[in-house]
Amino acid sequence: MNTQSKHLTREEADAFGRELDALRQETVADLGERDVAHIREVIRTANRSEAAGRALLHFGLGPVSFVLGTSALGLSKILENMEIGHNIMHGQYDWTRDPALDSQRYEWDNVCTGDDWRHSHNYEHHTFTNILGKDRDIGYGFLRVAPEQEWKPIHLTQPIIATFLALFFQWGVGGHDLRIDEFFSGKQTPAELAKRSRPFLTKAAWQLFKDYAFFPALALGNAPRVFLGNLLANGTRNLWTFAVIFCGHFPEGVQVYEQAETENESRGQWYVRQLNGSANIEGNRLLHVLTGHLSHQIEHHLFPDIPAARYPEMAPRVREICARYGQSYNTGSFRRQLRSVIGRIVRLSLPGPKAEAKSMSSAPEEAAAANFAAAGRAAA
Amino acid sequence: MGSMSKMGAVWRSAGSSVAGRLFLDRQAEFWMGEVDPVRSLRELRARVLEVIEETRDTKTFLLRPNGAWRGHRAGQYTSVEAEIDGVRMRRCYSISSAPSEALVSITVKHVADGRVSTWLHENLRAGHVLGLGAPAGEFVLPSPTPDKLLLLSGGSGITPVMSMLRDLAVRDAIENVVFVHHARSHADVIFGEELAELAARHAGLRLVLCLDDDASSPRGFDEVYFAKLVPDFAERSTFLCGPKPLMDRAERLFESVGASDRLALERFTPALRLLPTLSFLDGVQVRLGRSERNVVAKGQGSLLEQLERAGERPAHGCRIGICHTCKCRKQSGTVQNLVTGEVSSEPDQEIQLCISIPRSDLELDL
Repeated sequence: MNTQSKHLTREEADAFGRELDALRQETVADLGERDVAHIREVIRTANRSEAAGRALLHFGLGPVSFVLGTSALGLSKILENMEIGHNIMHGQYDWTRDPALDSQRYEWDNVCTGDDWRHSHNYEHHTFTNILGKDRDIGYGFLRVAPEQEWKPIHLTQPIIATFLALFFQWGVGGHDLRIDEFFSGKQTPAELAKRSRPFLTKAAWQLFKDYAFFPALALGNAPRVFLGNLLANGTRNLWTFAVIFCGHFPEGVQVYEQAETENESRGQWYVRQLNGSANIEGNRLLHVLTGHLSHQIEHHLFPDIPAARYPEMAPRVREICARYGQSYNTGSFRRQLRSVIGRIVRLSLPGPKAEAKSMSSAPEEAAAANFAAAGRAAA
Repeated sequence: MGSMSKMGAVWRSAGSSVAGRLFLDRQAEFWMGEVDPVRSLRELRARVLEVIEETRDTKTFLLRPNGAWRGHRAGQYTSVEAEIDGVRMRRCYSISSAPSEALVSITVKHVADGRVSTWLHENLRAGHVLGLGAPAGEFVLPSPTPDKLLLLSGGSGITPVMSMLRDLAVRDAIENVVFVHHARSHADVIFGEELAELAARHAGLRLVLCLDDDASSPRGFDEVYFAKLVPDFAERSTFLCGPKPLMDRAERLFESVGASDRLALERFTPALRLLPTLSFLDGVQVRLGRSERNVVAKGQGSLLEQLERAGERPAHGCRIGICHTCKCRKQSGTVQNLVTGEVSSEPDQEIQLCISIPRSDLELDL
């Protein structure tokens, strides 16, 4: 599975890109009522789940209703952040012209502001995916997730730091676009940081107020229970989103790129980089919806603004195209990918291994042949 | 009532904040829609109460709008939003009811290749909910009502002038009105029965129907025939709406007798200037509605690059069509998508500046 992708010439990459463009066109032409029906159904489920969860927490007594209420609230937050918020903000439903599904106006239930997210994620991360020094999502600037990143002594602590990041993931996401590292390195003035922080602080204050003051106060005697339920629901969502997102870009086999090699990149080469910078998680429909279809991270990075629920049906076609061009398609079970990510975070906390000098061109024929055989087996 | 409007003001001010966008735009809006799809904090919507077959190709939809409706002036139009295969599409239709009526009606002629009119005719039933736009348009009856009126229409162009006539009838102000309407046949006259009734009831209304299948009169609009029918037309405040040939000829006639200032007209389809494929490099006029500027977009590259060369700084991100930061509403004109080759010429479509090239003069919400 971790066979290296064959290095494609610009012409080959462009031909590869044209095939993906054709698949994209075909899907776009077919978008319609069922896509809108799907996202509205998920929105309805998330809202009802939140209402049920809050009702159980507010009016229930005893541990059973507490567990059920917290789970329902956590589920609604996961659905809202992943399948609804993330995907709507990507512009996946802009073609519907429904203001409730408008990428530029949507605000999600997360301390990260919609505007910050649209900048740091939709623009920076999706445009410069896995380019060292340009994609600030590679280890978020403080974790070493690729051997190409320079080792520093601080990385010895990264297993502990990553655990904290997992527990408080929404705060990591929320603070990401403030570029605090640039403040410490002198690239950002205190005034700039203050200006940049204001929308985040406003949003964070509202989120804290809503979950830890307003709703507990509404519950009167049940306030501590509601407080704790909200905390656990937010924490569950944090752990889940952390796991899904880390499995999307940091498992073994995912490539990172140097800035120099991506200069004057063509649209086809951009596709090649998106493919090789992402990894999928295998699973059933429930898993796909709960991950916001980021379990199809590869398809998401190739087609970030196509409704994510279409990825499962596009995936076999993408895989077939990849096989023909000798490109590796990184996929595995959730357990396998997560183990790979955790192993990597632990291993790279120590210096080394020496980054191999771009082994992409090594024995490309064998890699392609192996991959083709694998795809053939999968098809059969 | 007072507390309701105060609450509305509080909501509107909260609406721009994060909390407003989270709580009001999303959750409150969702639950209101769950209770009743016609309810909305933000959107003007209406429930269809009745569908009336007017002629073989024309239907009237009787609508009850939600609380966001602020009434209209006789002659104005509203935009109607239908969701067709997941996509919301808007079209403008004149309001045919009088402002004082409790219900609002629009009267729609089925256009053979028109997606929205076809959808409205085939799918819209009593009980369904539609999106509406705020009434707009300057084609309205002036106040006070002019002494001598001429309402001149053809085909489905009767709808705005019918609203005017109904308004006059309700106010019992039909003093000296000539109504000249053109249609293919008697059966094609929209509101035919009601017009006949009004003419019988009001001595001040003279109704003239010019029918194509009537051998004793010319087909369509004829200057000589019309001047004989209404010898004093140049002295009348005239409201004209109908198919393009009728409007063009009537407009020229009024010009020729120096009565243009007494003629008001409503065109259904704005004259779109679609440029030949290559000459767009010479530049197109772009009207930036929000910043109230006109610029010329020209030269190589996407509309975003052309606007930047013209000194504009629209919001943008990736410049390759993936991040949607540069998305903006095109109010009119035609653009082509550089990635898909798709041509967008409908009004009020969202376009991505960085992967669009202009194919005509444009109006953008920037």
